[in-house]
Amino acid sequence: MSLPWGGGRDTMRPPVIDASGLEKVYLMEGGFEVRALRGLDLRVEHGEYLAIMGPSGSGKSTLLQILGCLDAPSSGSYRLAGEEVARMDEDALAEVRNRRIGFVFQAFNLLPRASAQRNVALPLMYRGVRSGERAERATAALARVGLADRAHHRPNELSGGQRQRVAIARALVTEPDILLADEPTGNLDSNTGQEILALFDVLHDEGRTVLLVTHEQEVAQRTERIVHIRDGRVEASERVAPAAPAPGGAAPRGAP
Amino acid sequence: MILENLRSALEALAGNRLRSVLTLLGVMIGVFAVTTTISLGAIATAGITGQLQAFGNQALFITPNEDNPASTPFNDADVDALSRLPVSVLRQRSVRGVARAGTEEAPLVVNGVTANAPQVDRTIKMARGRYFTEAEDRRAAPVMVLSADAREALFPDDPNPVGREVSVTVGGSRTFYTVIGAKEPLTGAFSFAANASADVPLQTFYLAYPAVTRGEYPFLPITVSLERNLGDIEAQVNAILARRRGPDTFRIQTIEGALTLFKTITTILQAVLGGIGAISLLVGGIGILNIMLVSVTERTREIGLRKALGAKKGVILQQFLIEAVALTLVGGLVGLAAAIGTLYLAVALVPFLDEVVLSPFTVLLGLFVSVATGVVFGVWPASRAANLSPIEALRYE
Repeated sequence: MSLPWGGGRDTMRPPVIDASGLEKVYLMEGGFEVRALRGLDLRVEHGEYLAIMGPSGSGKSTLLQILGCLDAPSSGSYRLAGEEVARMDEDALAEVRNRRIGFVFQAFNLLPRASAQRNVALPLMYRGVRSGERAERATAALARVGLADRAHHRPNELSGGQRQRVAIARALVTEPDILLADEPTGNLDSNTGQEILALFDVLHDEGRTVLLVTHEQEVAQRTERIVHIRDGRVEASERVAPAAPAPGGAAPRGAP
Repeated sequence: MILENLRSALEALAGNRLRSVLTLLGVMIGVFAVTTTISLGAIATAGITGQLQAFGNQALFITPNEDNPASTPFNDADVDALSRLPVSVLRQRSVRGVARAGTEEAPLVVNGVTANAPQVDRTIKMARGRYFTEAEDRRAAPVMVLSADAREALFPDDPNPVGREVSVTVGGSRTFYTVIGAKEPLTGAFSFAANASADVPLQTFYLAYPAVTRGEYPFLPITVSLERNLGDIEAQVNAILARRRGPDTFRIQTIEGALTLFKTITTILQAVLGGIGAISLLVGGIGILNIMLVSVTERTREIGLRKALGAKKGVILQQFLIEAVALTLVGGLVGLAAAIGTLYLAVALVPFLDEVVLSPFTVLLGLFVSVATGVVFGVWPASRAANLSPIEALRYE
């Protein structure tokens, strides 16, 4: 079953995310089962900018793990850029994560002893890119997020916002099919958070597919579409009307 | 990838410098003990064997059987019977006395020996002058050859005492000798036997010390010419003495026998020290195991992140194995360096060790042992890291 709001910007390509009937059952201690996902369907087209919202216990985190190929669903189908990944083993999933997904975490998750450049180059290493090319591409990605002059700084020499920019550069460096950001502003003050969100706006404007997981309405309002999750299903999916006609990127969009 | 993994491993180790050093101490001591033991054994064996063989392994040393009360010293007839074999037998008697030369005075062991002594005892090398001749022995010439220690004691300022006079007092009677030669100092394995002694012709000795019974010898050193089979000669010596004196009244010692004994002792020592080394390697390995488990737990989030970014199990396994091996290899290299230093020190200090014999095998063994320790004790923590679920790992606080 497909959802009615496939953006259709690039109808020649398969959707980035085409998940149907996703179920996830956790077997808890004592033998009872927790059904975190109960037949969830989700379709995300290329170039879409959407937010996933939901209260805790809604299955939001489980969904993100499955969409991010960090975990496999108990049943259902998940096609990522046309490739069925629901039955893949661990190593194959690792390869898919590396190739297709750029993660941005709430806690940044940078390697503390490595420079910004080496942090950004890390996914390229797991792809087998030679070290010279890694450095080149990492430098370009850092320039893309406005940190060209911080390439050789370590995370502890950078501010919170700068660290999250490094993490975004790391997510971009492999040219993934989709950016998955899990509460990317959760550890930042509101001004810095706005800067990071503005960066996501720009990336979207450049044609990238961006999926934010957030519990902040204000953050979700910047996207084009909000998917509400409850009890392991999609409860509602609403289009966000652009508040400002000028998609400048840096200016906040959506309802105030 | 391996280089990058090696780099992160070294960074991780450098990040916990004190912990790393303490951990690799165990491996260091283990590798040190193992390599020192093996090399020291090899060096000692090479040194002793070389020196004993230079002395001549074609030698027999015959003593009475001290466990047999019926056993008596050897006599001239025994020596004459043995001398019919293609061997050289040394007749030797000794007394202790006090020697004087000018104002110097020193205790001295006087050996009465036959003129074939330098052929039988290969450690005799002349520094100055000459040994006495058979003719001098026959006419009981009052001549004397000093050992290096005796020369030093009696003529401390004169390296060449040839022609000078020495008097020896034994039991109240005094005899005068003219020095005709001085020996080189004893070296290597024999240096423990060095004493202040002097060789004089046997006939001169009997004349000077009439209290000594003629023709009785407490031991008989024998040299066998090189082209003869030592085992055959030993059997013939055994047969002759058994016929003349009766069985079980004497013992025949060979350098081969002494070497075998020495090698046995060395092997036992090596086994004991090697065992200690192995135990400290085991303890060191458990230290590695412990610290690697701690490291994996501490870096659970890092492992989760790496997996999220696309690291497969094998890559994580490799990363932590490299880290464990880097730890043990550094320990091994330090241990090896300390071992080599100790070997040079030992050779400089211990007289019977000739030179440092450092076989590539020993060095490779030391390195292999340290790498193997890292692999053996690193595999479990590394596979724990590799099998972490990325979700659990990312969620870990």
